[in-house]
Amino acid sequence: MDSQQILGIFAAAANDPLGYARAWKDRTGRPVIGSFPMNFPGELAHAAGTLPMILQESPDPITVGHGLLFPFYCGYTRSMVDQAARGDFDVLDAIMFGDHCVQLLGAADAIRVQLTQTRVIFFQLISSMCDPWTQGRSEESFAALRAELEDLLGAPVPDAALHDSIRLFNRNRVLIRKLYDMRKTGKAPLRAAEMQHVVKSSMIMDKAEHTALLEQLVAFHEQAAPQAQPGMRLHLSGHFCQAPKPEILSMIEDCGAIIVGDDLYHGFRYISTDVPEIGDPIAGLARWYLDRNTGVPCPTRVQNNVDWDAYLLDAIAEERADGMIVLMAKFCEPHMYYYPEVKEAFEARGVPHLLIETEHESMALEGLKTRVETFVEIIRRRAAAA
Amino acid sequence: MNISVPHDKRANKLKSTRIAGKLVNDYWQMVWRAKEEGKLICWYEGSAINPFLEAADICWVHGEAYSAMLAARHQEVKAQQAAEERGYMKELCSYARTHLGCAVSNQRTRNDTDTGIAFGPEDDDLSAKLPPPDMIISAYAYCSTGQQWDEMTSRVFGKKIPIFNVSLPWIWGAKKDAGYLRGQEWEETSRYVERQLYDMVKFIEERTGKPYPWDRLRAMMADIRRASELRLEAMELCTNTPAPASFFDWVVSIAPINNLPVDGVVQYFETVLAEVKARVAAGEGAVPTEKYRLFFDGIMNWNKVGWLAEKFARYDANVVAGRYTHMAFWQEPSLINPQDPVLGMAQNYLICPNNHASPILIDLIMGLCEKFKVDGMVIHASRTCRAFTNPQFLIADAAHKRLGLQTSMFEGDVTDESFYKDELLNSRVEAMFEAIDSRRLLV
Repeated sequence: MDSQQILGIFAAAANDPLGYARAWKDRTGRPVIGSFPMNFPGELAHAAGTLPMILQESPDPITVGHGLLFPFYCGYTRSMVDQAARGDFDVLDAIMFGDHCVQLLGAADAIRVQLTQTRVIFFQLISSMCDPWTQGRSEESFAALRAELEDLLGAPVPDAALHDSIRLFNRNRVLIRKLYDMRKTGKAPLRAAEMQHVVKSSMIMDKAEHTALLEQLVAFHEQAAPQAQPGMRLHLSGHFCQAPKPEILSMIEDCGAIIVGDDLYHGFRYISTDVPEIGDPIAGLARWYLDRNTGVPCPTRVQNNVDWDAYLLDAIAEERADGMIVLMAKFCEPHMYYYPEVKEAFEARGVPHLLIETEHESMALEGLKTRVETFVEIIRRRAAAA
Repeated sequence: MNISVPHDKRANKLKSTRIAGKLVNDYWQMVWRAKEEGKLICWYEGSAINPFLEAADICWVHGEAYSAMLAARHQEVKAQQAAEERGYMKELCSYARTHLGCAVSNQRTRNDTDTGIAFGPEDDDLSAKLPPPDMIISAYAYCSTGQQWDEMTSRVFGKKIPIFNVSLPWIWGAKKDAGYLRGQEWEETSRYVERQLYDMVKFIEERTGKPYPWDRLRAMMADIRRASELRLEAMELCTNTPAPASFFDWVVSIAPINNLPVDGVVQYFETVLAEVKARVAAGEGAVPTEKYRLFFDGIMNWNKVGWLAEKFARYDANVVAGRYTHMAFWQEPSLINPQDPVLGMAQNYLICPNNHASPILIDLIMGLCEKFKVDGMVIHASRTCRAFTNPQFLIADAAHKRLGLQTSMFEGDVTDESFYKDELLNSRVEAMFEAIDSRRLLV
């Protein structure tokens, strides 16, 4: 199979996640468990023999969901409620989550009312990340989620199975990180939408199937010669729960930019950190939960001893990026809180950045294009003047 | 179009709640003097941890209370502008945005003063008068915004202020034994929060350098328990027709129970209860003519407390109860054991009016609607307070289907007046009253 065929499979799963889940369920006869972003460990549900999939924002306009959640909520939560109300989640045997963004809680409440036949399991993860008890409480939370899963499925989730799942998920993450590394050097000149399909499909597909395809894709690019990449090198930041629309990513690239790195959830954030493979697996998952916030700080957590803005500046230096575009999902409160910190840090360092607020509903791409073109031009002139 | 309403009908507000105004003024004067008096200052949001602080002689500043005070005095705009100038967007919680604006102003003034290039704040600018914190404690139930707000406050002050986080999990209530104040989840969560509160006390001891005065806390919690009992007794008397006090009277009485100095709180609610009892005996209501009894769902619109009280009075509508006032603020005094108060305090923090998932929450609200014999429900969809708006469609649906209540939703906000749409409120509540009238004719 060549790289384009593999990317085509990834794109198909990314574009129709619930369709993939239905086909998988028909083929295997096993349960499908959806989870909300961003910190539920899919390893738990995988070890229980189910298909864990991170529920995705649908590109469809909000319809009946308007009657359950106000329009001043982020597109992800409104889309979740809308999909539930339309019956799109019938394929799911359960939904599990531990994150407690206030808008997500509202969505979960509304979804539970809609999906009377689907168990919705919640155990709140501690979001204060540097307390002496954060590791212990995280272990309690993951143990509670595991117990709920065992109760749901009527079977234990053995440590050995959990270790196997952790190793498989780690391998998947390692391979995607290799693609990220090769993208920086030009060996894997994937466009941003293609990279999104790689990561997003990893959130959806059977992990063994996805990993086998990734092995081939990585091998293909490892053999390739680096290609020159003309254009302004940019880092994409933000967009937590939902994937940025591919047309926005393409528009940015069409304006003369190449994306050399990101910290998007449907990007590097998702695969940044591995779970320890030895020792108690629940303790390992808790360690992973803590480590990923020091690895790629997230404004949905609070941690006084790490700085997202400093991380971004370091990432940009390492990627040799010329600037950063911030993609902010409209009404995303954690991002709105943190953005001034990022803005001030970038201004202080003299690193160009552009904020784009994205919406679930259609956006005026032409207007955005003008802004991005201007941004790219400013960077180009600044570089020429230096 | 609005129906014609007579403007001579005024809300018959409780006279005793005027004392609250003086108590509030005295309290904020104390806060503004605190630095000069050498007191440690703690900023906190969410749960009423103030007795822990007051007992330790620490001056406490509740972020929401400061934002609400600014909005009630129509002085919130400068703080909100300062926040927006730094990049905080308008869709953020306006409580947080206003309070962060105070922090930004405070830092800007300090830095400008350091360089000598700017003038200090105007004397009457209350947003700039808020003294900076010596410590921050975050203890926010349900709403993720609370913890992030505190974290950002810490960052505005350059992360130089010690911060302590108490994590208060949401009560999801999915287990078979789940219910209000019962079940394994409730018990385990209560103990989890209790443990953190003991750690919070150690944090306080580190700040003061003194052993924690537990005896003072016990005495205070005895007073708070008594005050809460008096408050609930007075509220209960509003099941009478006409109801002697309104939701807006209870809004005015939030500060005394929630964040004012404990000394005097029992006396305040004794006075309120006495007036309420006298009104019941005299058949005196909180509105001149009580034609409609309403339940208010949603947080308060602090720019509009008096405005809304008068508006509903003109419609002969008595707003007799509300989720904000009747399901929060030391709402379960029986859980507080003054001799050993921490667990009961933790549990009261866990029953803020949002921290139970909708099945439990809606049962409680329907219970209040029945108890207070309401004809309809007015729902304040506060633009930037998703914690309150989250379940509102489910609440409206339950009110309609279970109790046959008319509901009416209006748009506003906690402290950002620009989101309030008066004409929408008029049209919608008038439609609700017409529907109630039509139904009565049929009966």
